[in-house]
Amino acid sequence: MVFQRSLLKKTLESKNKFCRFSSVSAPKIPPFDYEPKKYNGPSADQVFEKRKKFLGPSLFHYYQKPLNIVEGKMQYLFDDTGKRYLDAFAGIVTVSCGHCHPEIVNAVVEQSNLLQHATTIYLHHAIADFAEALASKMPGNLKCRNHGIDSSKHLEVPNTRATPKDVEDHINYGSSGRVAGFIAETIQGVGGGVELAPGYLKLVYEVVRKAGGVCIADEVQTGFGRTGSHYWGFETQNVIPDIVTMAKGIGNGLPLGAVVTTPEIANVLAQKILFNTFGGNPVCSAVIGDVRGRGLMVGIELVTDRKEKTPAKAETAVLFEKLRELGVLVGKGGLHGNVFRVKPPMCFNKDDADFLVDALDYAISKM
Amino acid sequence: MTFVFLKCPCSITLLLLIQVLLLQKFCRNEKSFKPFHVSLLYKNPVHVVDGKMQYLFDEEGKRYLDAFGGIAVVGCGHCHPDVVEAIIDQTKKIQHSTVLYLNHAIGDFAEALASKMPGDLKVVFFTNSGTEANELAMMMARLYTGCNDIISLRNAYHGNAAGTMGVTALRNWKFNVIQTGVHHALNPDPYRGAFGSDGERYAKDVQDLIDFGTCGRVGGFITEAIQGVGGILELAPGYLPAAYSSIRKAGGLCIADEVQSGFARTGSHFWGFEAQGVVPDIVTMAKGIGNGLPIGAVVTTPEIAQVLTHRSYYNTFGGNPVCTAGALAVLKVIEKEKLQQNAFVVGSYLKERFTSLKEKYEIIGDVRGRGLMLGVELVTDRQLKTPADAETVHIMDQMKEMGVLIGKGGFHGNVFRITPPLCFTKEDADFLVDVMDYSMSKM
Repeated sequence: MVFQRSLLKKTLESKNKFCRFSSVSAPKIPPFDYEPKKYNGPSADQVFEKRKKFLGPSLFHYYQKPLNIVEGKMQYLFDDTGKRYLDAFAGIVTVSCGHCHPEIVNAVVEQSNLLQHATTIYLHHAIADFAEALASKMPGNLKCRNHGIDSSKHLEVPNTRATPKDVEDHINYGSSGRVAGFIAETIQGVGGGVELAPGYLKLVYEVVRKAGGVCIADEVQTGFGRTGSHYWGFETQNVIPDIVTMAKGIGNGLPLGAVVTTPEIANVLAQKILFNTFGGNPVCSAVIGDVRGRGLMVGIELVTDRKEKTPAKAETAVLFEKLRELGVLVGKGGLHGNVFRVKPPMCFNKDDADFLVDALDYAISKM
Repeated sequence: MTFVFLKCPCSITLLLLIQVLLLQKFCRNEKSFKPFHVSLLYKNPVHVVDGKMQYLFDEEGKRYLDAFGGIAVVGCGHCHPDVVEAIIDQTKKIQHSTVLYLNHAIGDFAEALASKMPGDLKVVFFTNSGTEANELAMMMARLYTGCNDIISLRNAYHGNAAGTMGVTALRNWKFNVIQTGVHHALNPDPYRGAFGSDGERYAKDVQDLIDFGTCGRVGGFITEAIQGVGGILELAPGYLPAAYSSIRKAGGLCIADEVQSGFARTGSHFWGFEAQGVVPDIVTMAKGIGNGLPIGAVVTTPEIAQVLTHRSYYNTFGGNPVCTAGALAVLKVIEKEKLQQNAFVVGSYLKERFTSLKEKYEIIGDVRGRGLMLGVELVTDRQLKTPADAETVHIMDQMKEMGVLIGKGGFHGNVFRITPPLCFTKEDADFLVDVMDYSMSKM
């Protein structure tokens, strides 16, 4: 919230839409007591060529001159020249504790040396221990867990502009009157950090449940304390879902996803066999139009006209590159690609926040 | 035990009761938090805590011969030092970066993988599992051809997500959800099929499905060269060339699911499809690719890969530095330690020994497979081929008591699946067969 207030304060003090301030010199990244290892691997150009040849034309990347990231430590990343960047995107909201957090690295190393792969056909304590710990963070009767990266693949994304009445209309006019479920992110991630209007989920959940459906909360981006005020995003809407899905921040980068639900709903899987081979393996502005989000999941939408809310797509792209030059890595999202997604590792501190905002300030001032 | 109960036409209540009883018995203090669906293989489940090469250790330090490989996953051997070193090395540098930034690990592995492929198969997409890889392959085939219909084989297993559950063709693995655009062709089963080992005759059914079940054009065809979950069933010789021909005439793409048969496991070849003398359009893989690391991949031609440029396709964890670095180490180990050759030599020897065992015991109906992907089917009557599922469970349990872990599969759950780490030795093979012999003799 401090970070958001700081941004808003500077916006309100502005007179001119584009050139708010002109700082004299570029802001400096906060100090960090760590020297990256010397990099002896292939250069950025070599890596980029190989990607083009073997990884297909659909593989997109950030920045006109792609960034060759070779090392990470807490909230910072290092490129092949040893330059340090403030990682304000956390590998897309994934690195929650910090890159190569020592406790996590130790746990990975220890288990990798013991037993890396077992599957649930045999017993192993790791999966049950984690399931228990995860269940303890859940409200209500949510305690049964299924594992697997594909946790959200069966499910449909609803119309995000809907009001509760609109959901009711879809049910009444677009279905038999009975539905299977409703799935929502409390703060839409890829969609540009859009937080659902207050009070929305409570009303919609009621409508969906009346129609026999179950309510699914997609916590892939908002979960694990990211919103600051609560551990799970759905808690900010004061609801208890029937099923909760998660991934990304759950493992600080380890490929892991989970589905948590009630024993009653979990029983549907007892009718047949559902098995995941890898699942549960032992051992992962420019004008500022809007500033939104919660905790360390912030979105900054840039528009060329505050009334019309015309997306400032080109300006966003320019500022995005400028931020990288200044040493700040953010994400980009929203339907029009005009939203900065700011979701750093949660060890991010006030100095980092100041550096980020100062960099954005400086970058905008130079436009 | 769970497999046996799920097969029977019991009511849901009885199933739940049995599930609850099983969980109460086996899960002790973890009962509220254990995944409900977990299907344990043994009466007294094995609690594995340590693994080294082809052996597993339980909580009491008892050593077991792992002849199942964590379901055909552990190819190099549990905690193979080269692979562990690569994992730890990369974990300490950067564990997660995403493809939004560059990192050499993903490209290096993609290059190495492409070099193992025939033809124009050189573009790689990384996922985190076999299911994900097959889902992507199916989507690409549908996008490329503009056709929705995909044909798979009865008795196949390709995954458990929305699309893959449709092409999976074993009712125990198919939940009652909507499936669309899938057709299941007659299985070219040399043991139980109507045409024996005449692959071409079975392939006629694929043409029939195209002619009578679709508009005449199809999206694709997906098969495992040796069906894994379905009971180590190698497709009858000559099948794939004939089937591929029909599919391609109808505009479809041919997808080879190498999730279990890939990475040198079959011994004679690196990929299972090579034994059928075909070159697919898309190849999917997982399991053995990473010796246990959660990684999957789809390899296809540059032309087919273009379809993903029409929209944004993105995989957060896919191709992460640790998994790709680990998988590259796996490829190097396979080459350095000549694991493909070992799979061929030891696998052939093991198959011979199983065949001898078949002459000794009437209960062994069939011995099949290739390299270190072998199946032993048990029947109570060799003529009628009546599945001996209860006996299968019993012998498996006995073997576990004597220190040998194997797997189980097939529609009736009466086939032993032998898919050990590829560092398996002749001595291990002898021990495995001797233990099976002993268990059978006591029945």
